[in-house]
Amino acid sequence: MNNRRLPAVLGAGLLALALTACGGGGGSTTSSGAKLVNSGTLTVCSDVPYPPFEDFDKSAPTGFKGFDVDIVSQIAKGLNLKLTIKDSSFDALQSGLALNSGQCDLAASAMTITADRKKNLDFSDGYYNSKQSLLVPDGSSIKTIDDLSGKKVGVQQGTTGKTYTEDNAPSDAQIVTFPSDAEMYQAIKAGQVDALLQDLPVNLNHQQAGGYQIVQTYDTNEQYGLAMKKGNTHLVDDVDKQLQKMHDDGTYDTLYNKYFSTK
Amino acid sequence: MKRSTRRRLNRGVLYAVLLAVVVGLILGVDWHTVRANFFSPGARDNWHDLITVGVKNTLIYTFIAFAGGLVLALVLAIAKLSPVAPYRWLATAYIEFFRGLPALIVILAMGFGVPIAFQWTPPGGVIGAGLLGLLLVAGAYMAETIRAGIQAVPKGQTEAARSLGMGGARTMVSIVLPQAFRIIIPPLTNEFVLLIKDTALLFVLGVTFQQRELTSVSRDFMTSGATAGTATSLLQAAILYLIITLPLTRLVAWLEKKQQRAR
Repeated sequence: MNNRRLPAVLGAGLLALALTACGGGGGSTTSSGAKLVNSGTLTVCSDVPYPPFEDFDKSAPTGFKGFDVDIVSQIAKGLNLKLTIKDSSFDALQSGLALNSGQCDLAASAMTITADRKKNLDFSDGYYNSKQSLLVPDGSSIKTIDDLSGKKVGVQQGTTGKTYTEDNAPSDAQIVTFPSDAEMYQAIKAGQVDALLQDLPVNLNHQQAGGYQIVQTYDTNEQYGLAMKKGNTHLVDDVDKQLQKMHDDGTYDTLYNKYFSTK
Repeated sequence: MKRSTRRRLNRGVLYAVLLAVVVGLILGVDWHTVRANFFSPGARDNWHDLITVGVKNTLIYTFIAFAGGLVLALVLAIAKLSPVAPYRWLATAYIEFFRGLPALIVILAMGFGVPIAFQWTPPGGVIGAGLLGLLLVAGAYMAETIRAGIQAVPKGQTEAARSLGMGGARTMVSIVLPQAFRIIIPPLTNEFVLLIKDTALLFVLGVTFQQRELTSVSRDFMTSGATAGTATSLLQAAILYLIITLPLTRLVAWLEKKQQRAR
């Protein structure tokens, strides 16, 4: 080949590549018409760890365990799809970035359904009624949210717990924002904050581990939902049908009791 | 075909390919989703906080970490060139240790590890701890730069100074270091630019409303305010980072050019 023609040949190759790249929209659809990122697989993103909703588990086939993980496993089974779970950041999930950029089909991450989030996401029916709670070290003088005056309270970035704290804590409480529960728990251990305000089940986990106690819970009428890419209505329908089926045949109650039974 | 014709043809093809790629990108982008995610109309409300809190703190944190790191680096560089072997070993061990660790881990260790282990929090609370972590790492990198700068000053300069009767320390401070710093301004500016971006890591330690740097402020706007539920504020923060860093990187390029001319 004449070497001087190389740029032209390379150029033509690039052109072909660019055109094919444009053509492939990526993904596939299920029998119901729901769009999937990877064919035959339900790809789920979750901000792990957030026990008891999601946590790492080497022995599990997906590598994860928890209430959300069990719920989406049932949904994938009902839809005849394989399940892949990816660890992601909560910011990316709740802003819609992870879903809109095609990283996953579904976000299952103890995510409360809010009007703001609905701007960029579609939600399934609520699958869990969430409460907020205040966790303090044993022997702390903080008994209620009003006692946070002049104290440091840890909250998670982007959560409804943060919004609740901003709306209800005394104005001179110092609200310290963390990327996730992992850092918050370290911070209260290190004495960097005096209390944590976040979802009840997560604080319950810390209480069970010892040294800390929940002094107040808050009923905020929040519901967790599974988030999907805006406009993927077929998938929303599929997921809602599976959730309904789980409520009807008792699977949901079994799972619920596995994680949240007070008995 | 004449050689000049062929060359023109080749060039034409290359331009056509570039055009096709650009057109392909423009056509391939899902503008509707992009606009919804990154160009929310509420963006105007965000600038005030992004600049008065985010940019301000980012610059303050960068200056503190840089100044602290520079002092530490100077000591380390001189120790590494010391005729006393244990000083050289210590400096080398320090530099290798902190260059080998991710800044994030050092910051987490300073913010959570040290207070838990020693029941002691560095001055300035968590931000002080985080900045200490940042400057420990920056110092390791800058030490090597300064050492190289000192060694780049011709030996004759030292010999001349000593023959004029100057002491070792005096020679270092008035003759060698000023020349060394002129040589290393470009790499030091690079370190400064790196630090501007690394201040975003302080977020893992938890920050209050007034302590947030640029990235934290923009992450907050992903969930609250007029652009909640979108990633518009991330784009705004990116623009602000570029406004800060681009002039600096251009400055480095200009300094390098000027230095080459001076030789």
